[in-house]
Amino acid sequence: MRFLRSSLRRSERKRRKRARREERREKMFFHIVLERKIQLHPRYFGPHLRDKLVAKLMKEVEGTCSGRHGFVVAITGVEDIGKGLIREGTGFVTFPVKYQCVVFRPFKGEILEAVVTMVNKMGFFAEAGPVQIFVSNHLIPDDMEYQAGDMPNYTTSDGSVKIQKDCEVRLKIMGTRVDATEIFCIGTIKDDFLGVISDPSAAS
Amino acid sequence: MSLEPFNRLVKLAARAFYDDITMKGDNQPKTGRGDNRGIAVVVLDALARLATVVSLTQLRQILHVLILFNISFLALLFRSKSGVSIHPTTSAGKYNMTKPRKNCNNSCCYLHLFHTQQKIFYRRQWVREEDLAKALKLHSKQLRRILRFFEEEKFVTRDHRKESAKGAKIFSAAVAAATGEGHQTGKEGEEKVKMHTHSYCCLDYAQIYDVVRYRIHKMKKKLKDELDSRNTVQTYVCPNCGKRYSAFDALQLISFTDDVFHCERCDGELVAESDKLAADEMGDGDDNRSRRREKLKDLLKRIEEQLNPLTTQLSRVKDLPVPDFGTLQQWEARASAAARGYGEIDPNDANKSSQVPGYGGTPMPSLGDTKVEVDLGGGVKEEAQPEGKPVKAKVLPPWMIKEGMVLTKEQRGETSVEADATQETTIDDKKQTDMMDDKSLKDEYYKAYYDAYRAKLQETQAIKQEVRVSASDDLFGTTESSHRQVGMKSKRGDDDNDDVEWEDDQPTVDTGNAGTSYKLAADLNMEAKESEEEEDDDIDWEEG
Repeated sequence: MRFLRSSLRRSERKRRKRARREERREKMFFHIVLERKIQLHPRYFGPHLRDKLVAKLMKEVEGTCSGRHGFVVAITGVEDIGKGLIREGTGFVTFPVKYQCVVFRPFKGEILEAVVTMVNKMGFFAEAGPVQIFVSNHLIPDDMEYQAGDMPNYTTSDGSVKIQKDCEVRLKIMGTRVDATEIFCIGTIKDDFLGVISDPSAAS
Repeated sequence: MSLEPFNRLVKLAARAFYDDITMKGDNQPKTGRGDNRGIAVVVLDALARLATVVSLTQLRQILHVLILFNISFLALLFRSKSGVSIHPTTSAGKYNMTKPRKNCNNSCCYLHLFHTQQKIFYRRQWVREEDLAKALKLHSKQLRRILRFFEEEKFVTRDHRKESAKGAKIFSAAVAAATGEGHQTGKEGEEKVKMHTHSYCCLDYAQIYDVVRYRIHKMKKKLKDELDSRNTVQTYVCPNCGKRYSAFDALQLISFTDDVFHCERCDGELVAESDKLAADEMGDGDDNRSRRREKLKDLLKRIEEQLNPLTTQLSRVKDLPVPDFGTLQQWEARASAAARGYGEIDPNDANKSSQVPGYGGTPMPSLGDTKVEVDLGGGVKEEAQPEGKPVKAKVLPPWMIKEGMVLTKEQRGETSVEADATQETTIDDKKQTDMMDDKSLKDEYYKAYYDAYRAKLQETQAIKQEVRVSASDDLFGTTESSHRQVGMKSKRGDDDNDDVEWEDDQPTVDTGNAGTSYKLAADLNMEAKESEEEEDDDIDWEEG
């Protein structure tokens, strides 16, 4: 009945495995094959049916997010279009389409660069492409203090480093929340080599 | 003494964690006087104490009493490591007993007062809660609350069962620490049987070990995380409505008016919930943070040094086998079987004989027999048979079968080799706790065993052949006279033939099991008989 002894080892193993997995999954872009059923109105039937279908697919899918695969960034190609099925009652036809696409999915432990969108007393929000990341103030280094104003920001005590809107920061994903259609992340800049990369004021 | 380090662990853990647990509810006033802190430690200590061997002083007292009454006895403290023990029989009046237990090195003293009383000094792993309350002079409600608390902490396992008053007495008989327990109330079923729920509790050493380690681990982890600021996901609480949010909900919480999070429902300002241990009194300034770190480090250091005896005890206990007492039923059955194995004629117990594994409805009143118990797979059968159902004939192993025993074919094991389990005695319930073993494993074991045995036999055939042949006649003569005559002649004829066949079949090596099981029975038959013949002339072999 020494369940805990082995389970502690198991949890250690799990942690190491997860760490290894996270290292391998540093690249958060994937090129995968997805399938979708596209409904097409009869007005599009004709010699260019296939093109119309692909256009509709791209319009429907690009930019969306599925919790499982992540954000679909771009469709690279269409693999297969199945036989269309005429729906009863309406004239719409449903085609099952297999397509290749690039998806973006952030993972826990990943480090990526993001652009600050909003600074709050409780932390700041940043965007890395389609995904939003929130860094709460307790994951901001202790020497950075919040300063309210028309441009709220976080500043170090000596004023050398400033985090404000449109800054680029490098952050680490601490956790992700995956809904059916939404991915939201929590990040930290408290570790080494994280924090502000470039300042918008430096450019100006 | 495998229990001693575990009991010490229990005591240390009780003092480390539970010495200020009060059993009063939150609403009740806790006065300086009536708080009753530390009672939990007392209870744990008592349970640990009850699980150890009875003290020698008590033993001496009883011995003294017995000497006064001029009753001869023999008390033997015996250490037994294995599960199987074989004792030579003695004439009536002297009984030696071991109580072999799984991985148990504890000594057990067993005094038997023939015909009068019986005192078993037994370890009380399973304790009835009423008894414990009486022993500790606590109110049973209070004790029950404490035990409930410990059950939730996974220190203690409890078992509640409805028992009639008689059933409760069975338990007492099994424990039988005091005299006067032998209630000989006779008939069942005539009186109204009122079923009260009795609760029993037992220290669960394996879980205690794990739980204590887990607690310490969690404590240290919490402090370390705090120190490294690894509290990843921040939670926010609304002071108005008490709603909790996590940082993942931050998107829904932002307001455009000011830069604080607002509650979705009541629009109150959310407060970041910090579970920082050292944060509360201080503010949020910079140097306060470093002070907080210092405080955390100090806490960590103090934990290490104060829990040091506990951790050393844990490491000592780590490699020892954990005492395991099974469920209440198992333990009780073991205890009463141990009691009964020495001829305790107790009508109460006899009625409940089917409760006990190994008796299976066929009482064994023979006293002082050679009892070699190999409880292989008997437990499985036992579980399948609920109380009171008639028991099918048990298969006797070949070496049990003496010439002239009137046995059915089934009992001879001809039907299947695998059903070769006897429960003549259940002194050793070590195998019972292995009840969960696969039957297939057991079958392989039997086959391997018998193969090995057969091979060994065939090696020594030539030497013993003549001896056996000559001895067999004698044996036939003697056994014939002492056993029943029913069907004797035909049996004898069969046995004779068996001998002949057996000799003929010597050179051939039988590989199949079914066909040779009977032959093998004969072989082992002879072997067993020969060895025992000198010792046990007076043994009345009962049919199992």
